[in-house]
Amino acid sequence: MTAAPASFVTTPRSDVLSWITTTDHKRIGVLYLTTSLMYFAVAGILALGIRTQLARPANDFISSQTFAELFTLHGTAMIFLFVAPFALGLANFLLPLQIGAPDMAFPRLNATSYWMFLFGGLTIFAGAATDEGAASNGWTAYAPLSEIKISTGLGQDLWIVGVFIVSVATILTAINFVTTVFIYRAPGMTMWRIPIFAWEMVATSLLIFMAFPALAADLLLLFVDRHLGGHAFDPAFGGSAVLWQHLFWFFGHPEVYVLILPYFGVISEIIPVFARKPIFGYTGLVLAAFAIAGLSMGVWAHHMFTSGAVDDPFFSFMSFLIAVPTGVKFFNWIGTLWRGSITFATPMLFSLGFLMNFLLGGITGVMIASPPIDFQAHQSYFIVAHMHYVLGGGSLFAIFAALFFWWPKMFGRKLREGLGTWCFWLLFIGFNVAFLPMHFMGLEGMPRRVYTYDAGGTLPLLNLIATSGSYLMAMGVLLFGWNVVVSAFDREPVDSDPWGANSLEWATSSPPPEHNFDTLPPIRSERPVFDLRHPELDPSALA
Amino acid sequence: MTVGLRLFISSAVFGIVIAVAYWLVAREPAGTMLLGFMAFGLSFVAGYMIVAEREADLWGDQPQADNAEAAGEVVGSYSVRSPLPIATAAALTCIGIGLVVSPTVAALGVIAVLALGALFIVQSA
Repeated sequence: MTAAPASFVTTPRSDVLSWITTTDHKRIGVLYLTTSLMYFAVAGILALGIRTQLARPANDFISSQTFAELFTLHGTAMIFLFVAPFALGLANFLLPLQIGAPDMAFPRLNATSYWMFLFGGLTIFAGAATDEGAASNGWTAYAPLSEIKISTGLGQDLWIVGVFIVSVATILTAINFVTTVFIYRAPGMTMWRIPIFAWEMVATSLLIFMAFPALAADLLLLFVDRHLGGHAFDPAFGGSAVLWQHLFWFFGHPEVYVLILPYFGVISEIIPVFARKPIFGYTGLVLAAFAIAGLSMGVWAHHMFTSGAVDDPFFSFMSFLIAVPTGVKFFNWIGTLWRGSITFATPMLFSLGFLMNFLLGGITGVMIASPPIDFQAHQSYFIVAHMHYVLGGGSLFAIFAALFFWWPKMFGRKLREGLGTWCFWLLFIGFNVAFLPMHFMGLEGMPRRVYTYDAGGTLPLLNLIATSGSYLMAMGVLLFGWNVVVSAFDREPVDSDPWGANSLEWATSSPPPEHNFDTLPPIRSERPVFDLRHPELDPSALA
Repeated sequence: MTVGLRLFISSAVFGIVIAVAYWLVAREPAGTMLLGFMAFGLSFVAGYMIVAEREADLWGDQPQADNAEAAGEVVGSYSVRSPLPIATAAALTCIGIGLVVSPTVAALGVIAVLALGALFIVQSA
């Protein structure tokens, strides 16, 4: 039998140097979460700039060039620097606690990954300070738009370097996650007892292994084209512009699931706690996660239907197929809620908001998996609405659910419930006011990424409604910030398990000690803390 | 066979099946190559795990394992702090930025990464 890792014996410190040099997974998790939220704040301000420009037709709030830089940095920051890294931060904090490990398998590699993420993000934004401004051809950086003949500025180069660094950091973190979960589980924590969140992170890590190398290769080829005389994407010299799209979307569509699978895990952790029931269909949820991960590797070219260079029936069929395991997950969540003793604490409100928004995003996803509909909707605001319902209404709501749920574990204080409820309703109403009209804008024919539009028809009204929704969302986010400030002054610390939860992180103090656990409870099911609270229901004793 | 190994073997089989199916249906080289590389990578990991796991016997895989029984001997204390990660990340960023701004910065970054890598190895020995 392999010996268990020795106990960590350390003296906690809280000065700045100790944070800069930390290799403790919990601190790295908090650093990830804080940094990703800061990038989110910047990306949100950029979004307000975009929406303000579009509030009325023929507006001159910003120039077309600035508008292009804004939507490029907004998309890049939201996808590469917020939604994905937030999940990595959450997993950094939670995974070792949930499986009963003292730390990540490779603590120094873990810290290196975080700092690469921070510096990579700053490199991307540094482009805005250059003479020709930041990258301005969207987060997809399609060649030949991103080639040096068209995008001559240093901002595009810094975008390439920054995204490459963030990509490598993400791959390194995924290696750490999988190794930790496979090797460092506590005695009795078999793979079929780890929390659903941990399973989702394993599936996410697998996706990162498969998808991110394609992005890294794409960026390297673009760099070679721009600086070393390559012609990978230049048809005039035997290259192929469609190759960029193949490589990018081979990463890009699995990336959508990298951005959502961790949050499926978050929802799967929260719903049983506030429904006072065990999760319905643990095995089904796990298998559905891996089915989604696998199928997502075969759908990349549904982003390229209109290129005329891909096999539409193959990718359409695979895209339809992916709705099946996603439906299984919804079935399991609803099954968990069914006849539960539901309480509507803030994490539960955000989880229910997630279910509704993500369902809408999923349904429009099935619609545009059909090539004839995609041919109409492609590059229109319908696509903008779809992706925001998946990643904004889905991931963002799960992010807030996670913040409210695990905040007491991270900082030993609960966020205030009253402010949390206001925050939820502002975000929920604001989100739907902002993004529901975009479906109709798309159907009216408004293309995405345009900085102005004609005054006729319904577009001015729809855009004004969308802009007002975005400002409501901003108020919700500000209220969350206010909640963080006032809750920090609350005197009453929380105990180890303020929600009556199930998984192992709730067995240790809030916040946990540097070595994670003073004592580990026996692990005999996927709900060790529930077993600890209810020894009379011990599954091994009952057996 | 552990759950992790089963996961990678089934992923590798899926990768091979979808790469072959895609080629048969679409006859498109770029996507087939991408799926082929993916299948190769997954097969490599699965193969490595088959070899590496021959001796693996983890307490975490024992459903009735007891914490006291599994506790290893206390072999000392470990620092949860190191300046190497931030320095390494900064050096790697210097290489990247240097490649588009100044070769000197990139060269300094390479030297720093090599030095820090040596320190990592020395500390880990």
